[in-house]
Amino acid sequence: MSRLPVTGVGAVASIGRDPGEIFAALCAGRDGRHPLRGFNRDWYNADCLYEVDDRPAPQTDTVGRATALLLDAVGQAARDAGLGDDLSDVPILVGTGLRELRSLELWWRDGRPFGAERMHFGTALRERFGALDTHTISNACSASLYALALAVNLLELQEADMVIVAGVDVITESMFGLSDRLQFDPPDRLRPFDRDRKGTVMGEGAGAIVLRRKAPADRGAVHGWVRGVAVNCDAFHATAPDPHGIAAAVRQAHDQAGVKAEDIGLVMLHGTGTQLNDAAEATALSDVYGPHIGSPLMTGMKSMTGHTSGASGVLGLLVALRAMGQGVVPPITGLDNPAAEVAGFRIVRDTPVEEQVDLAQIDAFGFGGINAVAVVEAGR
Amino acid sequence: MSTATTEAAAVRTAGGTVTAVTGVGLAVPGARTPQELLAARPDGAAAVDPAARLGKKGLRYKDRATQLALCCADEALRDAGLLGDDGLTVPGESVAVLIASNYGNVDTVCAIVEMIAAEGTAGGLSPMDVPNASSNVIASTLAVKYGLRGPNLMLCNGPTSGLDAVRWAATLIRSGRADRALVLGVEPDNRAVRRLTGADRLVDGAAAVVVERLGCGPARGVAERALVGATARTAGVRACLDRLGADAPAVWFGPGDGTDPADGTPLPGVPRYDLTGEWGESSAALGVLQCAGAVGWFAAGGGGPVYAVAGRDGDDATAGLVLRAPDAVR
Repeated sequence: MSRLPVTGVGAVASIGRDPGEIFAALCAGRDGRHPLRGFNRDWYNADCLYEVDDRPAPQTDTVGRATALLLDAVGQAARDAGLGDDLSDVPILVGTGLRELRSLELWWRDGRPFGAERMHFGTALRERFGALDTHTISNACSASLYALALAVNLLELQEADMVIVAGVDVITESMFGLSDRLQFDPPDRLRPFDRDRKGTVMGEGAGAIVLRRKAPADRGAVHGWVRGVAVNCDAFHATAPDPHGIAAAVRQAHDQAGVKAEDIGLVMLHGTGTQLNDAAEATALSDVYGPHIGSPLMTGMKSMTGHTSGASGVLGLLVALRAMGQGVVPPITGLDNPAAEVAGFRIVRDTPVEEQVDLAQIDAFGFGGINAVAVVEAGR
Repeated sequence: MSTATTEAAAVRTAGGTVTAVTGVGLAVPGARTPQELLAARPDGAAAVDPAARLGKKGLRYKDRATQLALCCADEALRDAGLLGDDGLTVPGESVAVLIASNYGNVDTVCAIVEMIAAEGTAGGLSPMDVPNASSNVIASTLAVKYGLRGPNLMLCNGPTSGLDAVRWAATLIRSGRADRALVLGVEPDNRAVRRLTGADRLVDGAAAVVVERLGCGPARGVAERALVGATARTAGVRACLDRLGADAPAVWFGPGDGTDPADGTPLPGVPRYDLTGEWGESSAALGVLQCAGAVGWFAAGGGGPVYAVAGRDGDDATAGLVLRAPDAVR
């Protein structure tokens, strides 16, 4: 069992430009929904996404947006940890679902300048931070917690003293187009665990943390502690999740952290708002928590950020750390009629709940049944 | 993290090798065995035909990269004695999957946006393309097909991806997350990828190695074919070769960059295999092809150590890996 300190954090999403802004928006119930900012609105049934507003003009798209969000989040985390701009000795592990595929689309269809060397993030991380040990891990919606699992291994095996773990995604038109093809009656918003949920809505964002092997002398600089991360694969279906695989990952995360289900005070749900995910996640949690299913507070951020794919895990982790630090847990919005499968769950709805939490679990599940679950401890 | 820590870690890995290659699979036009990777590419080598190797069942709607990966994975798992006629011979939870591919779904993504723009709607898209639009489709397809429930990783990390995948496989095994890993690199050849890379020919193939905790293979009656040693990641080929070690290699795989101005070669007197030059632009598949090539070298009686190096001087990084002969002193 390890206890690895988080000494720097950074994030950007549709609802805020840093972790503080994002957390304040979540507590205020403010979401980042907006009519399509970059795609041609005439081509699609759906007209809403949770995009980061960083384009030069409406309906004008640019290459390199995912890279820019990533550099922003990594830079914030490095500054927060007092590292500066030279990260040549720090491994940087980036989880992402869609890489720079949006730039690939603009290059192929519209002739925008883009090169193969920018499909992965190492090129930009080298240019900006001098980083050499960089890894782009394309593990769909569990990518950034998968990256965290590898980072924990590097630190435990003493192959590094410090690792930066990040997650990033911007929406590709190919993935949005496919979801538009499948969602005949597109959801106007993302409503996790609501009886009337109509599916997921994509979002954009990036998050980063600096994780160390040893605690710094200044304990005030520790945002929290990573206690364990489990990763596995359902080996069940290309897109549909399997409650058995999810439950196995949750149990393994608790084992690695040396905790029991009843010790967990907060669960950051994956909660994508699809029938399949929400049912599988609720079934798995009921299985693992058993009689303690009503014990932890449960929340999620996707009702306000949209589904940020590869960034979602690390963003959830940042929110969990801040919630524990401030003693306030933000709500899920738009959850008017909880689905039957979450009966008995202590889901935070509509308004924040003040409660002291010491241990949190963060869920992240991806296409292909790839599951990652982390357990983190408050920085106190 | 200081550089000293990195070097200490590298030396420790070399001194305490804990993983070995116990199986190889190839789906490369013109090379059926690891030894054949070390020969010249035969003229007119026919493209890999997944349906001929695996039958048509299960290939429908799979993209070219996934089809190539399926051929190759099947061969590697059987070669390592992990797959028999009744399925896996070890618990699925003990097997990790690490796939290296930069361009696997480039054709799908480009075709979709082209079609939406041409038709002015997404209504004509095929729902069967949904899995293919996700970059990790290769890794999850292999997991579903063979019941591989361990950590499942898709590395899209540029030219070093294949060697990075081998390194992470060793890390997952050392950390106890898995006992063995299927490590596979694949790149397809198509119009979009040629235009993106500027290459006139992609490998249009796949290579796989099974990396396993030492002793696990022999316990099943399967020989260890190469030992996985130290790794390095540096700026450029010269620094990588310097970092990889004190032992001069018997042979090395890699680009010809990093030449010593005095004698005009990166490693004087050491033979070098340039697999990209021979088999076509291999990108993420290169590092795994190199490991397969090293297995071929040892099988033909060659000595070690063997260095594998991917990522040229102009790339964002160069990765290196030391492979030792299976009978090397541990």
